[in-house]
Amino acid sequence: MRIFAFLTLALVSVSAQNWTTYNGSYASTHYSTLDQITPSNVANLNLKWVAQADSLEKFEATPLIVDGVMYVSEPPNTAVAIDTRTGREYWRYERPVPPATFVCCGNINRGLAISGDTLYMGTLDAHLVALDRSTGRKKWETKVAEYTHGYSVTVAPLVVKDKVIVGPAGGERGISGFLAAYDAKTGKEIWKFHTIPQPGEPGHETWSGDAWKTGGGSTWVTGSYDPELNLIYWGIGNPGPDWNPFVRPGNNLYTDSVVALDADTGKLKWYFQFTPHDEWDFDSVQVPVLVDLDWHGKPRKAMLWGNRNGFFYVLDRTNGEFLVGKPFVKETWSSGLDDSGKPVKAPGKSPSIGGTDVYPGVQGGTNWYSPSFSPRTGYFYLTAWEDYHTAYFTFDEEYEAGKSFTGGSIRSPLPAISRDPIINWGPEWGYGVIRALNPMNGEKVWEYKMLDVSDAGILTTASDLLFSGNREGYFFALDARTGKELWKRYLGMQVADSPITYTVNGV
Amino acid sequence: MSFRRLCRGCLLLFWLAPLEAQHGSIAGLPFSTPKDVQAGQKSFRSQCASCHGLDASGGSVAPSLVSGAFKHGGSDEDLFNTITKGVPGTAMTAFALQGREVWQLIAFLRSTEIAHSAGKAPGDAAKGAQVYHAGGCARCHTDGSGTGGFTGPDLSEIGSHRTLAEIEQSIVDPSAEVAPEYWPVLAVTKAGETIHGIRLNEDMDSIQIRESGGHLRTLMKAELRSWEISRQSPMPSFKDRLSAGDLENLIAYLASLREPAAEGQSK
Repeated sequence: MRIFAFLTLALVSVSAQNWTTYNGSYASTHYSTLDQITPSNVANLNLKWVAQADSLEKFEATPLIVDGVMYVSEPPNTAVAIDTRTGREYWRYERPVPPATFVCCGNINRGLAISGDTLYMGTLDAHLVALDRSTGRKKWETKVAEYTHGYSVTVAPLVVKDKVIVGPAGGERGISGFLAAYDAKTGKEIWKFHTIPQPGEPGHETWSGDAWKTGGGSTWVTGSYDPELNLIYWGIGNPGPDWNPFVRPGNNLYTDSVVALDADTGKLKWYFQFTPHDEWDFDSVQVPVLVDLDWHGKPRKAMLWGNRNGFFYVLDRTNGEFLVGKPFVKETWSSGLDDSGKPVKAPGKSPSIGGTDVYPGVQGGTNWYSPSFSPRTGYFYLTAWEDYHTAYFTFDEEYEAGKSFTGGSIRSPLPAISRDPIINWGPEWGYGVIRALNPMNGEKVWEYKMLDVSDAGILTTASDLLFSGNREGYFFALDARTGKELWKRYLGMQVADSPITYTVNGV
Repeated sequence: MSFRRLCRGCLLLFWLAPLEAQHGSIAGLPFSTPKDVQAGQKSFRSQCASCHGLDASGGSVAPSLVSGAFKHGGSDEDLFNTITKGVPGTAMTAFALQGREVWQLIAFLRSTEIAHSAGKAPGDAAKGAQVYHAGGCARCHTDGSGTGGFTGPDLSEIGSHRTLAEIEQSIVDPSAEVAPEYWPVLAVTKAGETIHGIRLNEDMDSIQIRESGGHLRTLMKAELRSWEISRQSPMPSFKDRLSAGDLENLIAYLASLREPAAEGQSK
């Protein structure tokens, strides 16, 4: 039996810090200014407490830390408040899961959002719930979408000003995706952006026939926000059906894109589509990392993006201009990007009846787990699956509301979602790496190679440390400048989450 | 189901990839769990049995589908095409089934192929049992009789999981492909000790092995001078060690080693 537990390590610092959003900040750099743990004392880190969760499912939630209290979600529909010094619970909110919920990849919930005294949580039955921070009691709930039609809300909400922003998962269920903003006080819908343009909306012409109705375009990982530009950036999931691209000719906007939306109105400012007419389930839901770079002598508001399709991108986040694109893992589905950043597809790589091998495999070169950017090193860090492939099969499938709608199947040598405690394959099936990239050109600066792949995100600190973990069950610290391993501890379970850091009462 | 779990479920020493191209195998299909096979059987009865017979062994208007030989192509893709597109000029029409159902049908056909192979083995299973014991197979394998070694896979239900051709290949070319849970390790410690075993598990820092005597041991990579994980089976080829008759009888014996459920299905 696998045991999942929250675990906190004594990440001690003198400067007070909370962790108030899924990505730690609106810029989503997963970089902390805390600096008391250093390369020279990191080896002294010890386990402080363990909190046992009820659920045995995989955690993909990032906790929030506000004034000494941890607020975190547990699978399937539970929110918990925990004392960060002792690990003891203050309260627990549990919402029943109706039997008809049917999510593709486990009863996942990626965490909460907070505004004032209110916490916000998405649910597997596709609702947004507001909870009182002190009691865990429900203040209101609002229906986001119809869960019996395959919609769920697994994303951690993002609070921007007086609005709470969420969208659905369900790209493998024939949903038609969106991103929506709700009034933080009442739950009333303020705006809704259709990630699959409806008839009459710009971009609808990139779909043929009725394919848009089941076009996917989920929004299952929390985006970023630039207060100065007042733009929300959000990654959009795969088109549906995943592996039968033949029934949806066209570029299939805005699947596999990043969209920049006006935070007040939800109006589209710009978009960039990483994988037009995706055939391999390359959701572009990765965390948009917002950084201001000295770009060849001039300041530039940039967005860094390690994409599931295996390419690293740098975009200008004011207008979506393509600046850099370079593969960070082995990929065979394209022969490169053109000057505008659009991929040139390689022949013979479409899913087929007999199966087509493509690198990267279905979990991509990277996926939902958070990357990081350190302003001190200037490097972009990401967790990658290297030398990893999948055989993609296609077939015709009739859409039935709420049921699986993938138009094919996959076969990977590596387990895509979960693993048992045995690792016994060969390196040719793929392996995990932490990579540091130079954002100016996408070149690899260093890498930390693992035996197994990893679903763990990355945290960097002002003391030039990098924290991450892997499916082998290790939680580790690396030198952010060199990639040298400085400390490692086996936790007895896979690490499938992104690390955070905080202080409480000065430590 | 993960590839590795599937391997473990089958407990097979040999992963016969080359055969997949010719005959296909359940493990090579996108939908291949026992549930899929069961669903495939259900579809078969409603869609196919009226022509091909309830047990797929052939009817008055359509051929047997359990022999492993298919007139219009026996690869997985061929079968998929035959089912979904039909065969012009014959009674085989195109079936408007969903892709998943087609794969489940194919999984059922593959399982049937295996289920029927015991009765079709040309050798004498009783004589094959004598070959098994005289040939020393039990030193490394068990046939479910309560004795036997553990260096190689458990063969007590091998007939339920592999076709005759696959079993033959395992005997004559054991290293064609060795399942990862039986990959041998050869390590030398910094102190100069040489260690042999089967790799059971591995991470960045350590390797868990079972030594030939059954002793479980963990090797720390930092303490090793060198280590090598081989894909070669320690089993010799029996190609020239057995007469053609003995080989045939041995295959018949191994094919007769079946799960209780599969036993019922084959009758």
